[in-house]
Amino acid sequence: MQLSTSITTLLWLIPLCCFIAFGLSALGKYFITRIYYICIGAIFCAFILSFLVLYQFVLSDEGVFTTSVDWIVIGSFAITWGILLDSLSVIMIGFVTFVSLLVQLYSLGYMLNDPRISWFFSVISLFTAAMLVLVLSDNLIFLYFAWEIVGLGSYLLIGFYYDREAASQAAKKAFITTRIGDVGLLIGILLIYKSTGTFNISSIIDMAQNGAISESVLTSSSLLIFFGAMGKSAQFPLHVWLPDAMEGPTPASALIHAATMVAAGVYLVARMHAFFDLAPVALPIVFCVGLVTFLIGGSLAIVMTDLKRALAYSTMSHLGLMMLSLGAGTWVVAILHLVVHGLSKSLLFLCAGSVMHGTGDQTDCWSMGGLKKNMKITAYGFTIGALSLGGIIPLAGFFSKEEILVSLTEYGGLWPIILIVVLAGVFISTFYITRLTVITFYGEARSDHAEKAHESSWIMTTPLVILSALVVMFGFILVPLPFVENYKGLGHFIDPQYKLHFVPWLSLLSIIVASSGLLVGWLFYGSNVISHKKMAVRIFPFYDFVVRKYKIDDLYQWVIDHAVLAFARLVSFFDRVVLNDALVNGTGKSVLLSSFRIKYLQTGRSYNYAMAMVIGVILSLAVWWLA
Amino acid sequence: MAEFLNSIPTLLFLIILPAFTSVILIVIPSRFAKAIRCVSLGCSSFVSMLTVVLFFSFDQSVTGVQFSDRYEWLSIPGPWGSGEGAISLILGVDGVGVTMVLLTGIVMLAGTLISWNISTFQKDFFVLYFLLISGVFGVFVSYDLFFFFFFYELSVLPMYLLISKWGSDSKFATFVRSSEYSALKLTLVLVGASVLIWVSIVAIFVQAELGSFDINQIQENGIGQLSVQFQNIFFLCLMLGFGVLAGMWPFHTWSPDGHVAAPTAVSMVHAGVLMKLGAFGILRVAVTLMPEGAETWMPLLFAFGLVNVIYGAFSAMGQTDLKYVIGYSSVSHMGYVLMGIATLNVLGMSGAVLQMFSHGVMTALFFAVVGMIYERTHTRDTLVLNGLTKKMTIIAIFFAMAGLTSLGLPGLSGFPAELLIFIGVFKSYAIWGPIGGSLAIVGVGITAVYILRLLSRVFMGPLPEKWDDQTDANVREKLVASVLSIVILVVGLWPFHFFKVIEVGISPLLERLA
Repeated sequence: MQLSTSITTLLWLIPLCCFIAFGLSALGKYFITRIYYICIGAIFCAFILSFLVLYQFVLSDEGVFTTSVDWIVIGSFAITWGILLDSLSVIMIGFVTFVSLLVQLYSLGYMLNDPRISWFFSVISLFTAAMLVLVLSDNLIFLYFAWEIVGLGSYLLIGFYYDREAASQAAKKAFITTRIGDVGLLIGILLIYKSTGTFNISSIIDMAQNGAISESVLTSSSLLIFFGAMGKSAQFPLHVWLPDAMEGPTPASALIHAATMVAAGVYLVARMHAFFDLAPVALPIVFCVGLVTFLIGGSLAIVMTDLKRALAYSTMSHLGLMMLSLGAGTWVVAILHLVVHGLSKSLLFLCAGSVMHGTGDQTDCWSMGGLKKNMKITAYGFTIGALSLGGIIPLAGFFSKEEILVSLTEYGGLWPIILIVVLAGVFISTFYITRLTVITFYGEARSDHAEKAHESSWIMTTPLVILSALVVMFGFILVPLPFVENYKGLGHFIDPQYKLHFVPWLSLLSIIVASSGLLVGWLFYGSNVISHKKMAVRIFPFYDFVVRKYKIDDLYQWVIDHAVLAFARLVSFFDRVVLNDALVNGTGKSVLLSSFRIKYLQTGRSYNYAMAMVIGVILSLAVWWLA
Repeated sequence: MAEFLNSIPTLLFLIILPAFTSVILIVIPSRFAKAIRCVSLGCSSFVSMLTVVLFFSFDQSVTGVQFSDRYEWLSIPGPWGSGEGAISLILGVDGVGVTMVLLTGIVMLAGTLISWNISTFQKDFFVLYFLLISGVFGVFVSYDLFFFFFFYELSVLPMYLLISKWGSDSKFATFVRSSEYSALKLTLVLVGASVLIWVSIVAIFVQAELGSFDINQIQENGIGQLSVQFQNIFFLCLMLGFGVLAGMWPFHTWSPDGHVAAPTAVSMVHAGVLMKLGAFGILRVAVTLMPEGAETWMPLLFAFGLVNVIYGAFSAMGQTDLKYVIGYSSVSHMGYVLMGIATLNVLGMSGAVLQMFSHGVMTALFFAVVGMIYERTHTRDTLVLNGLTKKMTIIAIFFAMAGLTSLGLPGLSGFPAELLIFIGVFKSYAIWGPIGGSLAIVGVGITAVYILRLLSRVFMGPLPEKWDDQTDANVREKLVASVLSIVILVVGLWPFHFFKVIEVGISPLLERLA
C-alpha cells in the first residue's frame, strides 16, 4: 500500500512541475532574463519522476493506479480531476517527458539568439504539461480539458513568429481545424454521459461491455470521438493544418510531430479501444480513414521540396498507418508505432532544424545537397532517422511496421488486397524519405549556403546523438529479450494479451519492398540513372494535382470564403436591414407617423370640437334608441 | 466576518454607498478633478472589497436568503386587509444574488479605473455611473417586487444620458449610427419591455391577494392563488420583458448598438452586468413565482437561446468593427445563459449562473482592452488594425485571454460554465436536448472561428508602418486587465467554490418546481 501512495504523489507532480514552470516563466520573464532554465529543470524533474513511476509500476503487482480530486460538485453530480496509471499511460509519460526533455535541451541552442526564448520555453512547458495530463487522465472531461490546452499550446507555438503573415494564418488554421474535431469530441463525450451518467473511462468501458449502452449511442459517440481524434492526429480530411504547422520554430515542430499533439488522437482511440470494439461500424471507418490518410500523406511527401513540409506530410502518412492499425483492432501495435515513429520523427525534425541553423534558415531541399561534408552528425542522424522511418531492418521502424503488417493478415477476407495497398504505401514511405535524405545531404552542394554550411553547437548535436542511438537500439526493446526474464517485448508489457509474432514470408516481403523503395529512391535522386524531372513532365497533370495538395486546401478556402463568411455577412445584413431597420425602426417610425396624422384632429378651433360633440350626442342617442 | 456583516446593514450599504457617492460628487466643483477621481476610486474600491468579503462570508451550507434586512415603507389597504408594509425594502442575497453582487463589484471597480481619463464632464459621468451601479446592486439584493422594479428602472435610465453624452458614433460605409440613436433605441426598447414586467408584477400582487410585494411571502403563501392559466400568461410576459434585457433574439438589436456607442466603462457595465439583470430577473421573479408557467414556456426560451447562440455567432463573424464583434458575441453568449435556465435542472441552471458571471468578467475585459486600443489608434476597424502585438504586447495578451475565454478554452472561466450548461441541456428535453446541445457546441466552434480570425488579423501578421509609434498598456490599464484576468483564471481552474455557492441558490428553486 505504501508503494501506491508514493506513486500517487509522484504522479501529480509530473504534469504539475511543468505547469508551475509555465506559470513562473511566463510571469517571471519580465524580471529575470534566463528564467527559461526553470523549464528545463522542470522537464528534467518530470523525466526522472516518470522513470521512478515506471520503476515502481513494474515492481508492484497492482495493474492500475487511480487517484482523483473533486473539481466540480453539485449535489450528487461530480466532475473529478483523476489520474489513471496503467501500462499504456506509463509508457506515454516516459515517452513524452523524454522527447520533450531532448527537444528543450536542443532548443537551448536553437533558440539562443531569439529575444523571446523565455516565452518559447513557457509554451513548450505548458504544451508538455497538457499532454502529460491528457495521457494520465482517467475521465473524459479531464482529458478534454488537457486536449484543448494541447491545442492552445500548438496555437501559440505555431504562431510563435506572430509578425509573419504565414505563421499567423497557420496558427489560426491549426486551432480552427482541430477545434472542428473537438466539437465532435465534446458532443461524443456528452452523449456517452447521457446514457451512462459517468465520465470515467474505465466505468464507461465496463458499462459498454455489460451492454448498458445502446448500439446507436455506441456507434455515434465512438464516431464523434474519432472525429476529435482525426482533428488532432491530422487525419484526412482534417489534415490540412499539419503541414502549415511548420511555421513554428523547428523544435516545436519536432514536439508537435512526435510526442504531443498528433499523438493525442491516436492515444485517445487506443485508450477507448474497448469502446470502439463494441461499436460495429466504428472500426472499419477508422481503418478506412487511416488508409486514405496513409496514402495521401505519402504521395504528398514525395513531391514537396520544402524539407519541413515533406517531413510533415510524412508524419501525416504515418499517423494514417497508426489509425489503420487501430482500425484493424491492434491498438498495441499502433502505440508501438507511435513511440517508434515519434522517436524517428523528432530526430528527423531536430536534424532539419540543425540544417536550418547551419544554412541560414533555408528549408528548400533542392537548394542544399552535399551537407554531409560539413554537417557530419546531422547528416548521419538524419540518415538513421530516415532508415528507421522507412522501416529498414534492424532499426526500430522495421519492427513496428512489421507488426502492423502482421495484424493486417488477420483482417477479414479482403486482406490480400489491403496488404498490397499498404505495402505500396510502405514503398512510397521508403521512397520519399530516401529522396529527401539524398537530395539534402548527399551529392554535390547546389548553392552557396549549402557549401558554407556549418555543424551546430554541441548542445544541439547531443540530443541528435542520443536520439540516433535510441532509434538504433529501440527495436530490440520491442522484441522479447533472451537475457531478461519474463520479458516478452514492449507490446506484451502494454497489454499482456498481446503476443508478438513474426510471419517469415511477410517479413521477407516487407524487407524486399522497403529495400526496393530505397533502391528506386537512390536511382532517381542519388544517381542519374532515372531522371526524376522527365518523370515529373511525363505525368505532369497528376504531378501538378499532387503538388497542389489535391486542391483540398483550395476547396476549404473556397468554402470558408464563399459559404461560411458569405453566410455570416448575410446574417449580419439581415440583422441590420430586416430586424433593425425594418422592424425596430419601423415600429418607431409607424408610431411617429401615426401621431403625425392624428395630430391634425387637434385643430384648436371651437366649432370643430362643437361639431364633434354634436355628432357624438346624435350617435349615442341613436345607439340608445336602437338598443 | 459573517457575524459582523450580519450585524450591519451590509446590503443596504451596497445600494446606498454608490448613490451617496453620486451626491458627494455633485457637491464637489468640477474643477477639482483629482478629488473627483479619488472619491470615485475610493467608493469603488471599498464597495468592491465589500462584495468580495460578502461573497466569501456567504454560508454555502445553508439554503435560503442570507444577510436579510427589512425596512417598511408603505401600506396598501385592500381586500387583503390593512396591507401593513405592503411595499417594503426587503434585502437579502441567495447563492445566485451573491454571485451577481460579486460580479458587479469587480466590474464596477474596473470600470472606474478605465474611466480615469475621461476628459469631458468627468464629474457628471461619475455621478451617473454611480447612480447606475446603485440601481444594479439594488436589483440583485431586493426581495420586494416593487423595489426590484424600481432599481431595475434606475439602472436603465442613466444609460441614456451616459451613452448619448459620452458615447461615440460608428461610421459604416453607407451610413452612420449615431450614439444618440443607439441611446434612444436602447432606452425605448428597455422601457417598453419594462411595461410588460410592471404589468406582470402588479398582476401578481393583485392575484396573490396578500397585500404584499414581498417575493418570499408571495412564494410561500400566494403561489396557490396563481392559477396555471394566470401563470401561463404572465410568465410569458415576464420572460419576454426580462428576455429583452438579456438580449434575447429577436429583441437584441438594442444591445450591440448600445455596446458600441457607449463609452468604455459603460460598455463594460452594460454588457458585463446590465444584460445579466434580464436573466437574473427570469430566475428571481418569473421562475420563483410561477413554476408552472416556467414549465410551459421553457421550450420556447430554450429555442430562443439556441437561436441567440448561433445567430449571434454568425453575426459577430460578419462584423468588421471590433466592438460590434464583441457586442454580437455577447448576444451569442447570453444565448447559453438562456439555454441553461431553460433546462430547469440544477446542472444547467448552475452553469447558466456561472456563465452570467464568467461572461460578465470576460466581456468587461474585452471592452476594456478594445477601449485601450481605441484610445491609442482612434479606430476600431479590423481592416485597418493589423499586427498590433509588436507594439502592444500586453494588450494583445489580455485580448487573447478574453478571446480564449469566449471560445470556451478549459482553464478559463467560460469552460466550466458552458460545460455545465451543455451537460444540463443534454439531460433535458428528451431527444431535443442532445440535438440542441450539439448545435450549441457547434456554436462554440463558430465562436472559435471569429475569435481566431480577429486575433489573427488584428494582433498577428506584419505591423503596418502607421502603427509604429503606438505604446503598450500603462500601469493603470494593466491593473484593470490583470484583476479581470485573475478572476477568469481562478474561476476557470477552480470553480468548486463558485458552484457550491450557486447551488445553494438554485436548488430551492428546483425543489418547488418538482
